[in-house]
Amino acid sequence: MKRRDVIAGVAAMGVALAAGVYRFTDLIEKHYLPTPYDDLLGKLTDRKQAAKLGAKVSGGFDMQSQVARLRAVLQSHSLTEAADADIAASRMVEIDGWVLPQTVAWLSALAAKA
Amino acid sequence: MTALIDARSLPDTTVLTPDLAIIGGGPAGISLALALADSRISIALLESGGMNFDPKVQNLYAGDETGVRYTALDAGRLRFLGGSSNHWGGYCRPLDEIDFESRDWVAHSGWPFSRATIEPYFKRAQALCEAGPWIYDKGADAVSAPLMQLGPGGLYTSWFQFSKTRDSVLPTYFGHRYEQDLRVAKNVTPYTHANVTGIRLAPGSQTVERLDMATLNAAGTPGKRFTVKPRMVVLAAGAIESARLLLVSDDVVKPGVGNQNDLVGRFFADHPIPRDVATLVVFGGPLAAFYGTTVTLSNGAIMRAAISPNSAFCRANKVVGSLTTVENPVDLDDTGKAAVITTALALGVDASDAKAYSLGCGMELQPNPDRRLTLTGEKDALGLPRLKLDMRISDADFALYRRTLAELGRQLLASRAGMLRINYDHREQWLKAMDWGNHHLGTTRMSADPKQGVVNPDSQVHGVSNLYVAGSSVFPTYGSSNPTLNLIALTLRLGDHLRKVMA
Repeated sequence: MKRRDVIAGVAAMGVALAAGVYRFTDLIEKHYLPTPYDDLLGKLTDRKQAAKLGAKVSGGFDMQSQVARLRAVLQSHSLTEAADADIAASRMVEIDGWVLPQTVAWLSALAAKA
Repeated sequence: MTALIDARSLPDTTVLTPDLAIIGGGPAGISLALALADSRISIALLESGGMNFDPKVQNLYAGDETGVRYTALDAGRLRFLGGSSNHWGGYCRPLDEIDFESRDWVAHSGWPFSRATIEPYFKRAQALCEAGPWIYDKGADAVSAPLMQLGPGGLYTSWFQFSKTRDSVLPTYFGHRYEQDLRVAKNVTPYTHANVTGIRLAPGSQTVERLDMATLNAAGTPGKRFTVKPRMVVLAAGAIESARLLLVSDDVVKPGVGNQNDLVGRFFADHPIPRDVATLVVFGGPLAAFYGTTVTLSNGAIMRAAISPNSAFCRANKVVGSLTTVENPVDLDDTGKAAVITTALALGVDASDAKAYSLGCGMELQPNPDRRLTLTGEKDALGLPRLKLDMRISDADFALYRRTLAELGRQLLASRAGMLRINYDHREQWLKAMDWGNHHLGTTRMSADPKQGVVNPDSQVHGVSNLYVAGSSVFPTYGSSNPTLNLIALTLRLGDHLRKVMA
């Protein structure tokens, strides 16, 4: 076996290993099981951090009704647009004292519960 | 040059007959004496203490407290020449116009005149405070670094100015700073160790006939007794002691002088200064230095920024005054970091250089007649009944300020400059973080209606023609500004009034 074949083989194994680690473990990126809310949760750039924030929602989060409201807003607007609209209309919600646009807060709560 | 006279050196039966007796040698009393220093009015400035702190004199201030935790009555003020300016932090800021208004969402609110009435006196008051050129809300034009960006809404960057720092000497301590001016004034005789023990009305109760005076020996025991018989009296002993002197002087009018409507000592107020009320995150990195500390401008002005609600927001949201200040840099916990990352990503903002700060504040309390001073059975070394303070702060006071903080959080997001965490939700949390400004206010409130106030709009005690009150005790509504500059402006106005009526 030629030396370059060995190197190519090792490299291929390395790439396969990395791809496996990436795809089948949470070491590089968290993988989530499919949920009925992935259309909404996909709006989050960092779902893990959002879930960490959303986990602090102490109560008053009615998932069914909030999901319906989130869909109504986010089907036709980006998260940034929705957040800006909340801020302009003073639709603010607190999570652990943090003053947040309502859409960001509910989406974070959904990320924690999904 | 007039000497400062130690009242302990006066013969026992002395009767002083100045045109005007000023009771109290603090910022109000000294400012009034200096304002009238070029007049033909002979003035006796009666100060209980000497030139420096004396624990035996200070003990005359001791009293009891009930209600929420508050500074001890003999700790939040000082009883020697210069009064409580001797521990002043030097903060100056004029009251806002809305502070004078009767606000329908604030019971018992409103002055009998607008800010325009004392406006002409602010610059002289500023000079007495040695606070530099008048800048305040034009501070943004005077500083070089950018302001915190806030979206359209209810809060804006406002400014404190500070009493001048001279070399290593901190703010203007009125006794030390103006001792020489008092000595030079030919018509002013300052008396130290001169305690008023009673304001005695003539039998008809329409005028003050005399002041009963006493000294305290070095051992802390009663000393000499003497009398002052002035044409006019100005009570300028601070909001706690002025109320006490009116209440103890009950030989002619039983509930006390000026207390025919049971108002003396009521409506006591201070500025709550809870610490670490909120966490401010600035997405783009450090704030300008003037938010967290004082900066000295090339023209000598010493300034610091604060965040204040504007009057439109106060009206629309039924909140009261507050001044929120940036305190120390802080680290965020995991939830805080998650909040910043999630929000910044949602807004499309780079928060990789974000900095977090703790916020503090000074809040305006709503007037409350049950937050009051009353006399107790215990007596001080001169035989005067001591006071008891019933200190109260309502849940509504906290809720109104919380509403203001929420708006600040919204405006920060609107400008994409940052975000905010409100750190307290429950009364117990607020009270645990509570400190006080030691800005004693409101106990002889001003109103044109004798049933609503102790003094009239000229600061004259209702029903007593020759007795006036100077100082922040006359503030019927308090605002959130530190009172010294404002009470001096009001006192200078009183000086003009006395010039007219005593001419």
